[in-house]
Parts: sequence; structure tokens; C-alpha cells
Amino acid sequence: MTGTALLFLVLGLGLVAWIAGRARAAAFVRAAKGGPRGQVNSLPSYHGWFVAICAIIPAVFFMFVWQTISPALVTNTVLASPMTTDLPQDGFARAAILSEARAIAQGFQTTAFQAQSEKLVPLYKNALAYYSWIGMAGTLALLFAGGAFAFTRLKPDFRARNKVEYLVMLALLFASLIAIFTTVGIFASLIFESYQFFSMVSPFEFLIGTNWNPKNIVTPGADNGYGAIPLFWGTIFIGAIIAMLVAIPLGLMSAIFLTQYASSNIRKLMKPILEILAGVPTVVYGYFAALTVAPAIRDFAVMLGVSNAASDNALAAGIVMGVMIIPLVSSMSDDSIAAVPNAMRDGSLAMGATKSETIKKVLLPAALPGVVGGVLLAVSRAIGETMIVVMAAGYTANLTANPFDTITTVTVQIVALLTGDQDFGSPHTLAAFALGLALFITTFLLNYVALRVVKRYREAYE
Amino acid sequence: MNKAANNRIPTDWNGAIMQKRIAGRYAAERRFKAMGFVAVALSTLFLAFLLFTMLGQGVRGFQRTEIAVDFDFPTLTSGATAASITGANAEGALNSMDLPGIIELAMSQQYGDKGGELLTSAAVANVRQMLLADPQLISGKQRLWLPVDSRLDVAYKRKGEPAAEKTVETLSQNDVLRTGFNWTFLTGADATDPSAVGIWAAFKGSLMTMAITLLLAFPVGVFAALYLEEYAPKNKLTDMIEVSINNLAAVPSIIFGLLGLAVFLTMFGMPRSSALVGGLTLALMTMPVIVIAGRNAVKSVPPSIREAALGIGASPVQVVFHHVLPLALPGILTGTIIGMARALGETAPLLMIGMRAFIPTAPQGFTDAATALPVQIYLWSDEVNQGFVEKTSAAIIVLLIFLLGMNALAIYLRNRFETRW
Repeated sequence: MTGTALLFLVLGLGLVAWIAGRARAAAFVRAAKGGPRGQVNSLPSYHGWFVAICAIIPAVFFMFVWQTISPALVTNTVLASPMTTDLPQDGFARAAILSEARAIAQGFQTTAFQAQSEKLVPLYKNALAYYSWIGMAGTLALLFAGGAFAFTRLKPDFRARNKVEYLVMLALLFASLIAIFTTVGIFASLIFESYQFFSMVSPFEFLIGTNWNPKNIVTPGADNGYGAIPLFWGTIFIGAIIAMLVAIPLGLMSAIFLTQYASSNIRKLMKPILEILAGVPTVVYGYFAALTVAPAIRDFAVMLGVSNAASDNALAAGIVMGVMIIPLVSSMSDDSIAAVPNAMRDGSLAMGATKSETIKKVLLPAALPGVVGGVLLAVSRAIGETMIVVMAAGYTANLTANPFDTITTVTVQIVALLTGDQDFGSPHTLAAFALGLALFITTFLLNYVALRVVKRYREAYE
Repeated sequence: MNKAANNRIPTDWNGAIMQKRIAGRYAAERRFKAMGFVAVALSTLFLAFLLFTMLGQGVRGFQRTEIAVDFDFPTLTSGATAASITGANAEGALNSMDLPGIIELAMSQQYGDKGGELLTSAAVANVRQMLLADPQLISGKQRLWLPVDSRLDVAYKRKGEPAAEKTVETLSQNDVLRTGFNWTFLTGADATDPSAVGIWAAFKGSLMTMAITLLLAFPVGVFAALYLEEYAPKNKLTDMIEVSINNLAAVPSIIFGLLGLAVFLTMFGMPRSSALVGGLTLALMTMPVIVIAGRNAVKSVPPSIREAALGIGASPVQVVFHHVLPLALPGILTGTIIGMARALGETAPLLMIGMRAFIPTAPQGFTDAATALPVQIYLWSDEVNQGFVEKTSAAIIVLLIFLLGMNALAIYLRNRFETRW
């Protein structure tokens, strides 16, 4: 029986438990009518839920635990058999044979490509059947035990509603805690892997080295090519300089035009169009940048007389990334301009200032903290952006300020380091986590400062 | 001082100097307005240009070039009858017939020794489907239209390699080429030959990933939103939860990929490249979006509803689940759809957990190796073969249509069900 079928069986039996509990409580209600004992504490359906929850939760929990540990148990049983002694000792070949035998035994595969795996199929079949039988029996036993326990506790004065509501509250709290678990999980895994990385490569080399050409075999004390300065510079150059040179003027001016000048019809039409720009997947932007924008820019550069213009130049990635960010800058500017009290604007207009003078000399200075906060958020979005730079920017680390040259970023290198066929413990993989940690800390600080700035500014006018 | 003020000459607003100054100010005003207009127009133009480019190339991806092949089935199959390939054994009978050989033979009879090379590898499957759909074909001479090799396909549609251009020219003169709709693109899987590729496998992978994401992120997100808005006491723990959620919403997506790699793959040993791990990773990414949208929706339910329910004796849990949640649900659903649309277009975290494998058949289960539509786009965009350009754009069109549909649904839900209190 497969896991899915078992899950459905458990849920079906849970429904039976719900019906049984509810029926019993309904019997209490009928008996209590006109009887000496007064009323039943909870509605019958709460009794039903109580029985169903007690039956399902432990059973499902056991099922998931069993699903996680049983593959290891199956492999151990198979390896314990004398037939497996002639398997190759080499880890990779061994694992290939085992996984093939397993796939055949489970019916995912019909023919064996390796002779040895054919022999192991019956072993696997037996072990799989044995452990899945134990899993099924354990799940059903827990289900019946839980259901029976809950069922015997049902009495007219049993406070089923309070119990069920307590469990619901626990579920709500647990759901909220998942956010903390995730944050802790991200932080812990990044820190843990980075720690391993920095025990191989010196943090100084990583943070102040200018040579990025990661070697897979690390010699302590020597230059191993893990100097991340070119990557940091590339990230800042593309994400915080080129992209912002596009996004800030266009986003800010769009916001000003749409809120101050455009008629409400145009605003209603244009705002969703700008939002579409934010909804286009980044892989589409990346493809567009690599296919259309980058060659055009290279040709343009060659026309200008720049001889070393690369086809994966920084400018294409930066410009397209800037366009992607426009809606974010625009909506943040929009919010902060709208938050400026009308009295300030009316006062300026009453003194005879034109609209543009009012905007430039009154509204924008007043809204500046909000706009700055928006720009910081935009920078944090831009430096964490992956697909555009992976597809349009280059893979060569280059410490240059020439926008027509190829340049690489932190996210590109994370992808490059992790998509090779490396062991998880290799310096390449671990270096990706160290870069990830740097990225995580930077974006976290940027977001934190941005939110503080925006919040304080909002309070100033409220 | 007073004297000086009295002696001041009143400003001559009609004088040449003042008129010039005012004209200058008005010109600045017009320039500023024009700048704003240009900014909006540039953004719109960029979007239009992007969509236009994708559409222009992508349309060709849905087309294929077909070549006329004359099959003399009775001779080629040495007398197979329609009866032999109908019924339960049809598949087996076709398998034993050596279709590739038959097609090769027919091609070389009609187009010379190297005739077989004109066709793409998907042609065999096409003939198979035609025969299964209409067994009567096999009892006579037939002219079937089969997809050509990718090089010829590119050459027929636009400019290709010189050799292919020449072949196409000769074939066109004999009037044996035509353009047909590329069904394989919608039903097939990844392949090395661009004229045999399809997006169904990647699309199914996306659907399975999304199913896992929705199943996990929606309940968790809604529960967390209800807890934070309705029950959470003001204490350190609640503050920490709020900070975590706001922070997670802004963490770069690639970091979630690193988390998935370190925790789900390495620590828990879950199957690499599977829709299960992809769904889990994207669920962690989508959950904060749903929580934030859910909190706003719950917040907008007026307190009078809660007080009325409490007043007639409902318990706090009943108030929320019987009254607040149903009223907040449209807003929550809107936020969920927008979050899911974002997850559907997400690529980077899926690359990290290995969903970039070559998947020649659609995944059958949640633990099978799978890929997703945006990842497939990325993989095709990396191919050197010119034939992949239009396929990539065509896949992008499919992805954009789905995203547009989801966003339209969200807007419809918002307009249809949102209540202004």
C-alpha cells in the first residue's frame, strides 16, 4: 500500500471517528432532554472533532516519521544479507546499484542495466514489504488507540469544545512559529556552512581579496582564489548603481506624473500597466536582456569605439534590472508623496508657485525620507536578484567600472558554484553559503534601515 | 527702514522682465510635466517592446514545418492490416513493426539516400499516433505530413544555415513543405532536438510544485495571520514572529534555495530535483506573502462583527472561524493568488535544489525528478541551437498567459467579493 493510499485511509477512518463521536454525543443530548442531569456541555460536533483529532494526529505523525526513517532501515536490512558482500566497495557504484534495485522493486523501472542489481530486487521487495507492513500496522494501531481513548472519555459533562479550541489555538501558534523556524533555519544553515568554509579559507582572503577564481583544493595560507571583492563590486555596480540610475528617475517621475498631473482615467489605466512590469517573472527579463538588450548595447558600444565591449555586458543586466525595479520605486514614492499633508501643498500653491515648483521645493523635500526608504528597499531587491544577472551578466570576476565590460555578481557566483557536480562538503559549495550569508546580512540591514526610515517619517506627519 | 519700504516701486507685472520670468517658469513647468510623461511612456514602451519581442518570436515556436511523405503501407509493412493494429494489442503490434525503419525507408525512396535526416526524431511518435487514431491508414497508400528536422525548420521559417536554406529551397519548389500547428510543443517533454521539444513535462512539474506550495503555505499562512491579528498577546515572542515574517518577505529568493539545499536535501535526505522539495522551498517563500495579505484582510473586518458574535455567547475561536474568517476570505484568497503567481514565476531557488535536470518524460509522482516551466525557459535559453530561441519565447508566452490569468482572477475576486465596511 502506498503512502498516499494509507493517508487517505487514515483520513477516511478519521471521518468515521468524527461520525462516531458526534453520534455518541447526540445520544447524550437525547438522553439529557428532560433528564435529571441537566444539559450536555458541548455541541455534538465538538465531540466528533475531539475523537477525530485524537485518532488522526498521532497516526499521521507516526506515518511521516516512518516515511523518513524507513528507507534507511530498508537499505540496512538489504546490506545485512550475505548476497550483498560482492558489491563494489566504491561508494558511487554501490549507490547506483542499490538505487536501481530499489527502483525496480518499487516498480518505477522495469529492466535492470546492471547485472548485480537484478539479484537484489527480491531482497528489496521483501524488505520494502516488511517495513511498509510495519508502518501500516503501527499507523492503524495508533489511530485505533487514539480514537478509542478519546471515545471512552466522552461524557455528557465532558468539555469537548474547550479541548478542541485549545488544540486549535496550539495549531495557530505553531503556524506562526514556522516563520521563526524558517528564519532560524536560514540563519543557522548559512552560519554553519560558512563556518566550515572559513575554517578552510581565511575570512580575510574572502573579505578583502581581489582575486576570484575559486580552486576546489584549498591550501591554507596560499591564495586560493576566494577573494570576493570583485563580486561585491559587481553586485553594487549592477544592482545599486546602473539599475538605480534607471529606476530612480523613471520610477520617481512616473509616480509624480501619475499622482500630480495625470487625469484619474489615465491613472487608472497606467497603474496596472506599471504593476505588470513587477509581475513579469525575472527569468523572462533575463532572457530579454540576454537576447535583445545585450547585443544591442554591444553594437552601440562598438559604434562608439569601445573595442572591448562584451556581449554579456554589465549595462544590459543593470538596465533591465532597473526597469524591473521601477514599479517598486514608483509605488513607494507614490505612498510617501501622498502622505505629505495637503496643507503644505495648498500653502505653496497659494503663494503663487507653479505645480512643478511646489513638487520640487515642497513635496519632494517633505517626502524625501520615504523616497529614500523606498530606494533602499529597491537596492535590496536588486542585489538579491538572480535570474537577470545569471542570464545576462557574465561569469568572469572583473574589477572594473566599464559598463560595457563583463562583470559578475554574488548571486551569479552562488548559482555557478552550486550547479556543478560537487560534493556538498567541497569548498565550492561552502563558498556559495558564505556568499549567501553576506547577501543575507546585507539585505537584512538594508531592509531594517529602510523600514525604520519609512516608519519614523510616517510618524512625523501623523 | 520704513522709509525704504515706502519708496519701493511696485512690481511691474506686465513689464518685459517679469513677463519673461513668468514665461520661463511656465516653460519649466511644461518641461517637468513632459519629463513625467516621458518616464511613464518609457516604462510602458519597454513593457510593450518586451511583450512584442516575445510574441513575435514565440508564435513561431507554436508552428512547425511539415514535409509530405508518401507511405505505401502495404509494401512497407509487408501486408499489415487495419485489424492488426486495432484493439488491445495495437500498441504491441506497432512496436513489433519497426516504425523507424519503415519511415526511414519511405523517406529514402522519396527524397534520396539521406532522406531520413530530413525528419525530426518526434516524427516516429507522430506516425504512431496517426496510425493508432486511424488504423485504416495502414491498408493503403498515404501522404502524411511529418515534422522536419530543426535546421530545416529554422531555415523555412527565417534565415538558417546555408546548406539547410538550399535544401528548403529545393523542397519548396516541389511543394512538399507546409506550416502546421506544433502539438508536440504542448504535449511533449524536453529533448535535445528543438523541433521535438514540448513543455508538458515542465508544466506538469510546475503544477505539482504549486500544489505542494499551496497545500502548505495556505493553511500555515492563514493560521499565522489569524493568530497574529486576533489572539497574539503583546510580548517578546509575538514581536519576534512579526519581525521574522517581515524579514522573510524581503529575503532574496536565492537564499531560500540555499535553505532548501542545506536542510531538505542534505539534512533530511529528501529526493533531489523533486517537486516535493521544490514545493516545500517555495512554500516557505510564499507563506510570508499570504500572512501579510491575510493580516490586512482580517484587520479590515470591523470590530462590531466580533463584538456581536461574542455578545451572543460565541467563544473566541468560534468568533474567528465562524465570522471573521469567512468575511476575510476574499482578501486572503486575493493575496494567496498573487503569492502563488510569484512562486510560479520563480526560478532561482529551484535551480539551487537541482530542478534543472534534463527531464525527457513528465514526472509521475511528487518524488520523481522534475523541472518547472521557468527553469525550462532558463535551460532552453542556454542552448546553442538556434531552434531553441523560438521555443524559449513560446514557453515564455505560455508562462505569461498563466500569470496574467492568475492576476486577472485575483483582481476579479477582489472586485467581486471585497466589502467596503
